[in-house]
Amino acid sequence: MLIGNYKASYAADESIFGSWPMRYGFAAMVVVLAVLPFAANSFIVFLAVQVAIYTVAITGLNILTGYTGLISLGHGALVGVGAYATAIFGNWLGVPFWVVIPMAVVTTAVIGLGFGLPSLRIRGLYLTIATLAASFIIIFVIEHWKSVTNGDSGITLAPASVFGIDLVSDAQKYALIVPIAVLAVLFAQNLFRTRVGRAFIAIRDSDYSAEIIGVGLTRYKLLAFALGSAYAGLAGSLWAYNFLALLPTQFELQLSIVFLAALVVGGSARTLGPVFGAIFVILIPEFLKWVFGFLTPFSPTIVEYTAPANTIAYGLLIIVFMIFEPMGLAAIWTRFWRYLNLWPFSP
Amino acid sequence: MKVDRRTVLKGTAAVAAASIMGMPAIVRAQSKKWVFAGSSPLTGPFAQAGTTALKDLLDWVEMTNDMGGIAGRPVELIHEDSGYVPTNSLANFKKAMSADEKPIFYSGDSTGFMKLVAPELTRTPVLCGGTSFASDLANPATNPYQYIAGPTYQAMFDILLKHVKDNGGSTVAFVYSDTEFGRDPIEHGRAAAAALGLKVVHEEITKAAGAEVQTHVAQLRRANPDFVILHGYVTGVWPEIIGTARAFKMETKFLGTFWGMEKVIADGVTAKAGPILDGYAGVLPYRYFYEAKDSASYSKFFAFKKQKYGDQFPGYVVTWSLQPMFSHELAKNAIEATVKADKEVNAANLIAALAAIKDWDSGGYMGQPVTVVNHSVPQGRVYSYNAENKLFLPVSDWIVT
Repeated sequence: MLIGNYKASYAADESIFGSWPMRYGFAAMVVVLAVLPFAANSFIVFLAVQVAIYTVAITGLNILTGYTGLISLGHGALVGVGAYATAIFGNWLGVPFWVVIPMAVVTTAVIGLGFGLPSLRIRGLYLTIATLAASFIIIFVIEHWKSVTNGDSGITLAPASVFGIDLVSDAQKYALIVPIAVLAVLFAQNLFRTRVGRAFIAIRDSDYSAEIIGVGLTRYKLLAFALGSAYAGLAGSLWAYNFLALLPTQFELQLSIVFLAALVVGGSARTLGPVFGAIFVILIPEFLKWVFGFLTPFSPTIVEYTAPANTIAYGLLIIVFMIFEPMGLAAIWTRFWRYLNLWPFSP
Repeated sequence: MKVDRRTVLKGTAAVAAASIMGMPAIVRAQSKKWVFAGSSPLTGPFAQAGTTALKDLLDWVEMTNDMGGIAGRPVELIHEDSGYVPTNSLANFKKAMSADEKPIFYSGDSTGFMKLVAPELTRTPVLCGGTSFASDLANPATNPYQYIAGPTYQAMFDILLKHVKDNGGSTVAFVYSDTEFGRDPIEHGRAAAAALGLKVVHEEITKAAGAEVQTHVAQLRRANPDFVILHGYVTGVWPEIIGTARAFKMETKFLGTFWGMEKVIADGVTAKAGPILDGYAGVLPYRYFYEAKDSASYSKFFAFKKQKYGDQFPGYVVTWSLQPMFSHELAKNAIEATVKADKEVNAANLIAALAAIKDWDSGGYMGQPVTVVNHSVPQGRVYSYNAENKLFLPVSDWIVT
């Protein structure tokens, strides 16, 4: 019977799924994700795909902001870079999605690296403003480089294809996107057990101290930008294969703010934080719509009041979470499993 | 005659069969109601227009049902808020299309949505109208199930530039919002102006809401064009630009496109700032409600509103509502034509019926008989605001582009 979180070996200390609730919890989640497209209607599957895409994007932001302490307001635009790179490479070269996705990831990482250069000279609020400028520059280029991006008219792309089958239904897109998202989250979890990940954390906690103990700030800050942007590029690529039509307005500043809010609500510097954050920003508005929808039979025009009430309730929920759980939803989750692991000797 | 249980059952069955046989065969096999779905901006920057239009649209549905529905079947309207975010609208669309009872008509709320939904429509086709007049949509080859309930923004620019030419103008400036909505007709406008021998002396790009108008107007004053076309706004920016220009003593004439032609906004500005909008003109594809109150369509709606709201109904329906109502009228027309032809009511047959509309009397919505060309209705008229009687009055004939 466990009465404490004791680690008897280095392997146990480094284990991703260190306790039985986490192991079985992960297995249960895999089973649920495998069954979902067969059990749910296409709208639920569509939402699940969106959660997966947001999870990948917010995981990238988590690497940059949560673990390395470099706040970015340009992440939404970098997702746009990944999405447009996917459409452009796909349309120009006609190569399959498994070639296009890495190309889009590398392109976004390189562009993100460029926008990360100011982080070598400035930090904190100043760096945030610099990344905000990056957001505006990227959107401006997408809107005005019409010969490549088709400007405001948007761009379309062919669906991803596996053995000649076009992935066009929600279930087919789910089968492509959700496994990639799960692998991306697992990769991030592993990253912070490596030298690189720990260097990121050292920089976040104190970059002067990190440099004194031998962490190269230039290298690791740029690497954090490149990795965070690579995740943004992957999310953008999956976004492109999900929607099959792209518009510059989809990737404007509001998207970056949503990502940042999701990270804070979900839990910054925690692997599951982006997952909870994505679930929160995608599913809570739909849940509130469903709740307020029960009022519609009383008056068809009540939607005029319930729609703003929905937005207000959503905002209030974020505030409530920030007050009562500033560590994010992931902290509640961790406490729950810890409690379960130690039961009946839980504190 | 002996009336027993068996006779009653037989009689009931015979009456039911006779009633059913009166309908075309294909309709009998389909749903007992028409489900219409849509999303509109009930929150966000265009919430004022969205909420007003939704109320009127719900009344239009109620009135239609009171009058026997469409082809004998009632309409059910399912509606959601989008916040004017295209991805939200797309989620609303997916939800509607995954419901047990799928809609036969979907109404979108932005150019962004209409573009995002295009790939989805190839997989789950449905007749799709909306509030957008985006020029790209008037293309049956690329957007086979979508239509525009009026002229495209490019066609509106054609009408306005013709008005400039007819009124002795030689120079023109374009002021537009930094949105896909604002930029839509600009390139076409440059070419159309050149073709008419007009010189585009200046272009000014502003924010869609909350723009710093003084700097924009200062640039306009330096260019000093005969006419300025304002485009890409709904409730704000355009009145501030005109007001500031008047304060700068500019003599330039201002023109607008559909979403900047609402009397309620013009009246509000006049009440606060005086007659600064006097002479402001623009293109409208529909008749103002007060202008055609006695027409077949408007009079029915007027009577319905009066009966439902009494004195609370001011007797005026905003242009933001006329647009979705006319869009739904086109869908209604397509359904009726499809049912009459005894064809299955599906997206392919509905859009074919809609595309075949020719010389249809819209009962007052439009000044000319309605003919659908490239999934749009390319006609409009120039109206000018009179600050004294607070009315937009026609200053041109109906122009079919």
